[in-house]
Amino acid sequence: MTALSATAALTVLIVVLIVLQFRRMQTSMPTDGLPVDAELSAQRYNNYAFAAADEAADLEQPAKAVADQTNIRRSAGFRPTRSSGRHIVHTHLAMLSRRRFRRTSLEDKLQPCHVTSRKEPDDGSGTAARQPRHDERFGATLDLLPLAILVADPQGKTLFANAAAEKLFGYSRGELIGVAVGELVPALPLNVGGADLALGSREADGHRDLVAKRRDGTEFPAEVAINPVSWESETCTLTIVIDRTERYELLRNRQQLAHLTRVSTLGELAGSLAHELNQPLTAILSNAQAAQRFLATEPVNPGEVREILHDLVDDTHRASEVIRKIRALVKKGDLEAAPLSVASVIRDVALLVHSDAIVRGIRMRVAVTPELPPVRGDKVQLQQVVLNLLLNAFDALEARPALDREVDIAVTLEAGDTIRVAVRDSGSGLAGNTFDKMFLPFFTSKRDGLGLGLSISRSIVEMHGGCIWAENNEDHGATFYFTLPTGAGATRSVPGRHP
Amino acid sequence: MSEVSSTVFVVDDDTAVCRALTRLIRSAGYCVESFESAHEFMECRPYFKDCACLVLDVGLPDINGLELQNELNAANSALPIIFITGDSDIATTVRAMKAGATDFLAKPVSDSELLPAIENALRVSSQALANRTELDGIHGRMARLTPREREVLALLVEGRPNKQVACKLGIAEKTIKVHRARVMEKMEAHSLVDLVRVIDKVGTPLAHGQRA
Repeated sequence: MTALSATAALTVLIVVLIVLQFRRMQTSMPTDGLPVDAELSAQRYNNYAFAAADEAADLEQPAKAVADQTNIRRSAGFRPTRSSGRHIVHTHLAMLSRRRFRRTSLEDKLQPCHVTSRKEPDDGSGTAARQPRHDERFGATLDLLPLAILVADPQGKTLFANAAAEKLFGYSRGELIGVAVGELVPALPLNVGGADLALGSREADGHRDLVAKRRDGTEFPAEVAINPVSWESETCTLTIVIDRTERYELLRNRQQLAHLTRVSTLGELAGSLAHELNQPLTAILSNAQAAQRFLATEPVNPGEVREILHDLVDDTHRASEVIRKIRALVKKGDLEAAPLSVASVIRDVALLVHSDAIVRGIRMRVAVTPELPPVRGDKVQLQQVVLNLLLNAFDALEARPALDREVDIAVTLEAGDTIRVAVRDSGSGLAGNTFDKMFLPFFTSKRDGLGLGLSISRSIVEMHGGCIWAENNEDHGATFYFTLPTGAGATRSVPGRHP
Repeated sequence: MSEVSSTVFVVDDDTAVCRALTRLIRSAGYCVESFESAHEFMECRPYFKDCACLVLDVGLPDINGLELQNELNAANSALPIIFITGDSDIATTVRAMKAGATDFLAKPVSDSELLPAIENALRVSSQALANRTELDGIHGRMARLTPREREVLALLVEGRPNKQVACKLGIAEKTIKVHRARVMEKMEAHSLVDLVRVIDKVGTPLAHGQRA
């Protein structure tokens, strides 16, 4: 190794001398185009050492030079340009830059990957000598990416960490080397050896949402992808860590907004929901008091009391069902993607607005095609869409005479794999200019509307892979439609659950 | 507890509530008939000959409870109404009470409120029934009077002596005496005061005379 280093140093010295000579020539002969170009480039591009290092490698420079170049580039921390075809110029540039940055490069802590690179040529053979250069360039490229990248050996120890990784995890230069990847991303399986990550068995969707840990112990959501790579003739793992804090923030904000509109919608319904609860309570109280009276009179009729108890149980269930549905809509939960029946979503919402419809003198009809396949989605969010469309339909009927206040909900199977929900009202229909605006946030035609209902409904439906639109009916009123794809992986729903 | 003929009608669109209320009222010994809509009630509308009252939910899906009350009032029914409602507001309550409801109760309704309310309503009903029977009787008796007797009756209840009545009608006082005796007999009155009291209940006898 020392012999090799000496050779490398000697070569470098020679090249530097040549270049110095060249510069002298160039100053004396300004008409020579190429050296002028070289000088200018040296001035202008001397930071772009990576490109030069690259070219130098192409020209079969010794490994030491390459290693130094990489270190130079590391300290410089600039992006390369690869556009130039001027090999010679760049070769010179490489020399110049290296000289210029030598001090920095020497101060720079040598990283294990570089050490091993320099060790590599000791193995002797020509192919082995080519290999480290490849890894070197690979590592250097990785260093430039804005994503945090960790290369770990089969034991899970970090061999290489790029600049973005150091920044993301809060470590200073080089400290990440040797740290177990499992310490940075605790949920990551530690034995991500070549065995389970052989090139062939790589999953198409290898991204996982995990929690990663910074040096100071704080955690952040991250998207992690693991890929097997060949690094220094070993099968290692390359882990890409993308900080998802912002995306989660955005997602959370959107969820909070949806939750807020849900709660405010329920607030509007509070009166009728209270009525919905009051009904079973009335029945419970009257039944219980009737039972007390029946028991107080002789002879006691056990059949009567049994019947009352049966009704009491039913009414209690009914009351708790209402509460359960309200709580489900009010709860702040994470999105769930579970197979669910659209029919039950609609039935639940219909139960919540049942009293509201009566108070407003609206007749509501629900028609569901039997045996519908389930869809995958979040029940609460889909209920929010249905609730929103139903309440909009109710509002549209306000000006209609009592006999014409009708809302029809139809759930049908379209084109074999799409469920379509139509909410049809008999109101006055939509004005022509609202069609393109009504799904935009803050657009409202109501006196005290927020203008969020339909825009949130649209984002929910689209998140579920469906679409939402509206049409005016031929006679009167409008119909809002939304579609949901039926889950391919979901099992066929139990027929008994359908009406 | 109550008369055998007393019937309580219950109208509530909620089956469970309807059943429970029916049971509770039945447990108090009343005869109960329940309906789940106003239309159903109006269709098989019983003739309210007997002592009865109506326990009515305000928020019905077909016709609102208050509208049903108006319809019943328009049909000149004397059926007392006890309203029950889940969401009572002052305006609705005032409207219902002004239109003659005997009570306005909030759901869930306790037996300690409902049963006295029913008792009261039935009392009102039986009173109205008694009044109506009495009036029918008076009308029946008045129908037996001849036109001349009716004229005599009208002047008598004004407190005029026989002489003035004779003068006013232009007939002999002796004849008036005969008519007067007939009127007293037909109206089943024992004294003039008795006759005045009876006639007072139906308004002016002349009006009835014209009607007959």
